[in-house]
Amino acid sequence: MADPVVLETTRPAPRSIGRSALLTLPLLLWALLMFSHAVDLRENAGRAAALLTCAFMVALFFLMVRTRRTYRWRRVFFVALGVLFPIGFIAQLYALRGSMSIPVERMLSGDTPFCFLAIPMLIVPAALTRTVIFPGSILPTASNPHSVATMIAVWFAATLVLGKAWCAFGCFFGGIEEGFAALPRKAKLRDLPPRLRWVPWSVLAAVVLLSAATFEPTYCMWLCPFKAVTEFPEVRSAQTAIQFAIFGMLFGGLVVVMPLLTRLRTQCTLLCPFGAFQSLFNKLTVFDVRIDRSRCTDCVACRRACPTLVLDEAAVTAGGPGISCMKCGACVDSCTKQAAVWHVKGTPIAARPETARLLFLYPAWSFATLFGGSIIAGSLAQLLRPLLH
Amino acid sequence: MLGNLAEPALLGFSSGLVCLAACGPVLLPWLAAAGEGGRGTARLLAQFLGGRLVGYLGFASLAWAIGLALPLPARTNAFAYGLVHIALAIALLVFAVPARRRPEPCARLSIFRRATTRSGFLAPVLLGFLTGLNLCPPFVAAGVRAAERHSLPGALAFFLLFFAGTLVWFLPYLGSALLRRLPAVPTVARWSAALVAVYYLLLGGLTLGGAWLHG
Repeated sequence: MADPVVLETTRPAPRSIGRSALLTLPLLLWALLMFSHAVDLRENAGRAAALLTCAFMVALFFLMVRTRRTYRWRRVFFVALGVLFPIGFIAQLYALRGSMSIPVERMLSGDTPFCFLAIPMLIVPAALTRTVIFPGSILPTASNPHSVATMIAVWFAATLVLGKAWCAFGCFFGGIEEGFAALPRKAKLRDLPPRLRWVPWSVLAAVVLLSAATFEPTYCMWLCPFKAVTEFPEVRSAQTAIQFAIFGMLFGGLVVVMPLLTRLRTQCTLLCPFGAFQSLFNKLTVFDVRIDRSRCTDCVACRRACPTLVLDEAAVTAGGPGISCMKCGACVDSCTKQAAVWHVKGTPIAARPETARLLFLYPAWSFATLFGGSIIAGSLAQLLRPLLH
Repeated sequence: MLGNLAEPALLGFSSGLVCLAACGPVLLPWLAAAGEGGRGTARLLAQFLGGRLVGYLGFASLAWAIGLALPLPARTNAFAYGLVHIALAIALLVFAVPARRRPEPCARLSIFRRATTRSGFLAPVLLGFLTGLNLCPPFVAAGVRAAERHSLPGALAFFLLFFAGTLVWFLPYLGSALLRRLPAVPTVARWSAALVAVYYLLLGGLTLGGAWLHG
């Protein structure tokens, strides 16, 4: 086995343009292949949206390769996804049924678009009774293209490779709060107690158990903040009014106000049960982030940069953020000593972190292009249609 | 004779999966928060099931006493359902708070002290009793059949056998003892119990409010 490469303690210079372009070439080919199918290319808006999104995704990958930084460029994509997803989704809802609210009759007839957040709640009832408790359709239909089977297939394939990196490269909600968290220059509220990171696990346990007991996806019915900007049950009773109020308060509190105060992804940190569930799959993937203790000077830059509460003092001492890390790259990019590094399990820590980063980025960005990119392209096409018709 | 014995036991066994799922939100966080080993978990489970049995037998007596009045009017059902959920929520909330963090007057009451000590039995029995009163469809079906018995002992025996039929489905909960190896589990379990309590409180309140307003 070759000796580990000795890393410099200062940040390496950017890659050359030619080498960066060469490393970006596979992604360019992948993006061209993807966007030739993602939207309707027969119309001007579709062609323009596909071209713009393809250029956007490839340019960001090129910048990640050239600057050797991940977080900043991933955030640009992620915020764009977070902003454009609700726009495209709401436009689609209005085109399909003329409203963001869904009447209970349409829910019962299986017209609710399926979202990955419901996946943890489906498992126990499906295992015990072979019943899918979500009021959607198993396969895509004309009135509901967002089917259960399609989303689960996409999620499963991505999760096997990326683990919790789904939350940094695939989640079409996370970008909304990441955008708000990026707005202030400094956090007004610091030092949230690290034990709060267990709250999503509690929410996960509660919603999984309640969903099995009540045969309804409890989180979607009562706690999902993103219902406020996507789709919600039509307000016809005290119950639906309370549900809508809860969605609104959670969205306002955890997706808008708290990220502005803390510069953290507070919904992911303090509520999202899917994130906790997804953490379990970090055990399956070969990629992780580690902290080389021999280089670490305990400057706490990585802890301050972490957008969740995953990196605390104990985690840094233990040499890594553990299973709840979503591999966004913030800690690695913030570390001036190259102590926080990308890592492939089974290899020596800090042996070839840049190679490990690229090995992770190719599947991660390919997935981001396929999944998030097609959502961005679809939403852009909706926005451009009136202009280019 | 054999048919008389087999019917409630089979009814319980065949619908036990519903009991497993219905008791999960209350039982699993409670067991996980207790952080007991295998024997301790078995003891807590037995106490919970004991409470549940008391709930069953109480319901059997009521069902037999009411007799032909079953099924109850929707409004009565809704009131009972709402009250049971609110009581369950309050019990869960009280037991979810660690004894040292409880407000002073509550902490001083011996009933609360007893409920949360490791040897205390009030919490699992009360939680078992309240989940035993859960008006799930198989439970109501058993109630209707029990109400048709000619005598109170017959109705009680019917529910006892129905309960025995469901027991096997509770064995997987013994596996919760394995969770004690994870240090964060008691905290996670207590918080999830509190969330479940809030859900039941909301559900109970809405049911009571609905019954009150609309009849």
